[in-house]
Amino acid sequence: MSDSSVVTVGAGWALVGLVLLGLLVLLAAVVDGLVGARASGASALGGAMRPLDEGARLLRQRRRTTVAADSLLWRLGGGGLLVTAALMIAVVPLGDWTILDLDVGIVWFNAMDVLVWALLWLTGWGANSAHGLIGGYRFLALALGYELPLMFALVAPAIAAESLNVGTVAAAQDGVWFVVWMPIAFVVYLMGVAAFSVWGPFAPALGSDIAGGVAAELSSVDRLVFEGGRYALLAAGAAFAVPMFLGGGSGPLLPGWLWVVVKAATVLLVLVWGRRRLPAARPDVFVEVGWLVLLPAVLVQDLLVAVVAVWGS
Amino acid sequence: MGLTTWITRRAVRSAHVLIVEMPGHWTTRVHVERVVRAWGWHPAVAPADADLLIVCGAPGPQMAPLVERVWGQLPGPRAQATVTAPAEVIPALGRAQAALLDQRGQWEDARDRAIEPDVEHGDTGHGDVDHGEMDHGDMDHGDMDHGDMDHGDMDHGDMDMKPGGIPLAEGSEDRDGLEMDVLHVSLGPLLPHWPAGLVLDCSLQGDVVVAAKAAWILGDVVGAHESDAYRPGTAGAVRLDNVATVLALAGWVAAATSAWRLRDDVLGAQDPHALRPEIERLRRRVARNRLLRWSLRRVRPIDAAELAERTWPRMWEGDVHDRLMSALDRASASLATSERRRGALDGSAGMAGPAVDVTEVLPQVVHGLDVATARLAIASLDLDPLGMTQIQHV
Amino acid sequence: MLVGILFWLLAVVAVLAGAAVFIVDSMARATYALALSFVAVGLHVLLLQQNYVGLVVILMMVMEMAIMAVYMVMFMGMNPALMPMDMVHGRAAALVASIGTFGLLAAGILLVEWPARRGSPAGDLTRALGEELMGPKMLVMAVVSPVMVATIVAGVVLAAHRTRYDRMGDDLTGPPSDPQPGGVGR
Repeated sequence: MSDSSVVTVGAGWALVGLVLLGLLVLLAAVVDGLVGARASGASALGGAMRPLDEGARLLRQRRRTTVAADSLLWRLGGGGLLVTAALMIAVVPLGDWTILDLDVGIVWFNAMDVLVWALLWLTGWGANSAHGLIGGYRFLALALGYELPLMFALVAPAIAAESLNVGTVAAAQDGVWFVVWMPIAFVVYLMGVAAFSVWGPFAPALGSDIAGGVAAELSSVDRLVFEGGRYALLAAGAAFAVPMFLGGGSGPLLPGWLWVVVKAATVLLVLVWGRRRLPAARPDVFVEVGWLVLLPAVLVQDLLVAVVAVWGS
Repeated sequence: MGLTTWITRRAVRSAHVLIVEMPGHWTTRVHVERVVRAWGWHPAVAPADADLLIVCGAPGPQMAPLVERVWGQLPGPRAQATVTAPAEVIPALGRAQAALLDQRGQWEDARDRAIEPDVEHGDTGHGDVDHGEMDHGDMDHGDMDHGDMDHGDMDHGDMDMKPGGIPLAEGSEDRDGLEMDVLHVSLGPLLPHWPAGLVLDCSLQGDVVVAAKAAWILGDVVGAHESDAYRPGTAGAVRLDNVATVLALAGWVAAATSAWRLRDDVLGAQDPHALRPEIERLRRRVARNRLLRWSLRRVRPIDAAELAERTWPRMWEGDVHDRLMSALDRASASLATSERRRGALDGSAGMAGPAVDVTEVLPQVVHGLDVATARLAIASLDLDPLGMTQIQHV
Repeated sequence: MLVGILFWLLAVVAVLAGAAVFIVDSMARATYALALSFVAVGLHVLLLQQNYVGLVVILMMVMEMAIMAVYMVMFMGMNPALMPMDMVHGRAAALVASIGTFGLLAAGILLVEWPARRGSPAGDLTRALGEELMGPKMLVMAVVSPVMVATIVAGVVLAAHRTRYDRMGDDLTGPPSDPQPGGVGR
């Protein structure tokens, strides 16, 4: 398919990828529980056990439905997030190995993150609830603000590596990591990851001002899958940052695959730590900023990268 | 059985609690929140997410059916408790916890419940409202031939055309001149981060409030056990609670949590005046945050002209961010002097200014805002919940 | 063999989802049935080893349908969600026209003598596509993009009752009087 430097492994290894994704999700959930418990003054141990407790609680809970819900669309939306996250990590090379060595891996990732548009809106719409619907519309409004900057942030490493293949982009950073000379693209990318995971300041779609918004009517396993999907998207976004901006598996002492995991975990923890620390980016103010500030900034970044790439060759 | 017991224990350890406050039971609600946090439980924002329903104050004849409806929306396993005084909080929550752990009881509760969700869910402001996807799950989509109907002129009275018994939305021009559906959604009275007992009937286009009507729904005997309301730090704690509400609605969880904890400290302190530096610290932290200012500035600005025209209290001048800062100032100032609480529905505790009728004010405040900014605007008015207690004495 | 099975499977999905757009009785379902149909077509393009074009088709179509759902709900003068609605207007004429068109195109595909392949595909298709678009076809692209953007902007301007003169006064110098402020302080 492409001339990249990574080895494609058999489909069976996809299980290993899923296990690693699951471990990252667990790490994020445990740390998030700890941070939350510390903030509210509850016991730290209780906070660390929170993922287990929440899982037990939601598995014990009964599934509820609402009047005239469109169950098909509703469940599709909630369950789709996990699938999307799993498809995202298919193109992330783990050191020298990858499951799917696609020549346009970056476009693949981008197509997956756009699926979240549909999934979030359908989850809000399907429950036949005004709050859910408002939440769904809010997400789309935010998406209009974050998606284009995110796309152009992904373009920067591709220009520098002169390839849309993720393995090639990772290999192109043997001298200096892209994060060093593309800081704007990196920051905008992280913002995009938080946004498509409906996370932290980008969670007005799940806001407490609309009774939980998109998730207002979710209970039991539906809520478990939805919340798990959000964490998985966050972890997948953090993992994809590694080959794009953080040099892939390069690093001293440890083997490449372990470096990828360590870097992904680090990015993930930064995102988790920032969750409660910022006020929400309300859609009615964020959209204008996305178009008038972030988009020009990231385009200038792309221009600089392009100039360097052309001049260097 | 061992596994089930273990799962049950773990599940109850992180129970989500829907706390609903009856008018005049602010102090009870605050105590419930404090205990819930200390036990490592989590406040819920909607019935679907809740395992426990804690009602602060006895619901009167008006509130009881609404509470019952919300109770019906808890997925289960579920338990509820009514707490009418701060002293009862811990025993009542303990009983609710025991009920949640009682598997046989939960099983019987589940068996006795209706399978079908109740169409009348809608107007508690908790979702389930008449909008969204109508899926005629029991119908064959292929055979629904409505021919060439002109949907605009349809007879809305026809019951066959009201799937699920939900009335249809009517259209009208929105603020940009587009024909848009109008939905009627009630906010309150049982909504987290919302003034207790307040109902705001909104007409929404998209999520923009094009018209609203406000009313109070009273609980039962108001404030019977709320002697705490006359403690010295209460006025400051109320301000802090309102500040925390604005911060929570603005999505800044960390600062909201700090404000709630400070509120609890002020209420529990022997000498609340000693906590003034803490409030000042919180104020500085909120003032420093540029993102918050960016998010809240110019949201529902009220200028001097509007204040004069409508005889609103002076403390409402400015936008949501200004009102947030002035509420923090008042919290700090109220601990400097041991002011007597002035109870009235005017929300102007400790402020000089003419009394206003909240039910008249709110529709004017929220007109033309979307639901999120309307919530922020209402929270920023710093209404005095304890004012409700005075109704009995008038 | 596997590719053949996938091809026919996706073909059936694409056609059935396309038909479902007119059969289902809810807007959201119609919108996302159309999205599903496009995704199946995008996967077809992937089977043709046109990875870039295939993925972009999926990406753009999912995004477009998400926005289209908003527009449908916005511009329909009644609440589509609560009313099982028929997605077809002028059923008989539409059926005749669509079946006739399909028959004509299918007959054309089957009856025309297609020429045998003369060249061979480029090694890196994505690069070849980019060079083709940015090289010989650059003039077309440079004309098409601005025209499309101008069309969209003009459509919105014509549809909106409030113009910039309503927002900023007759000489366009005043601060915009919008119901809610935006994020950059204009």
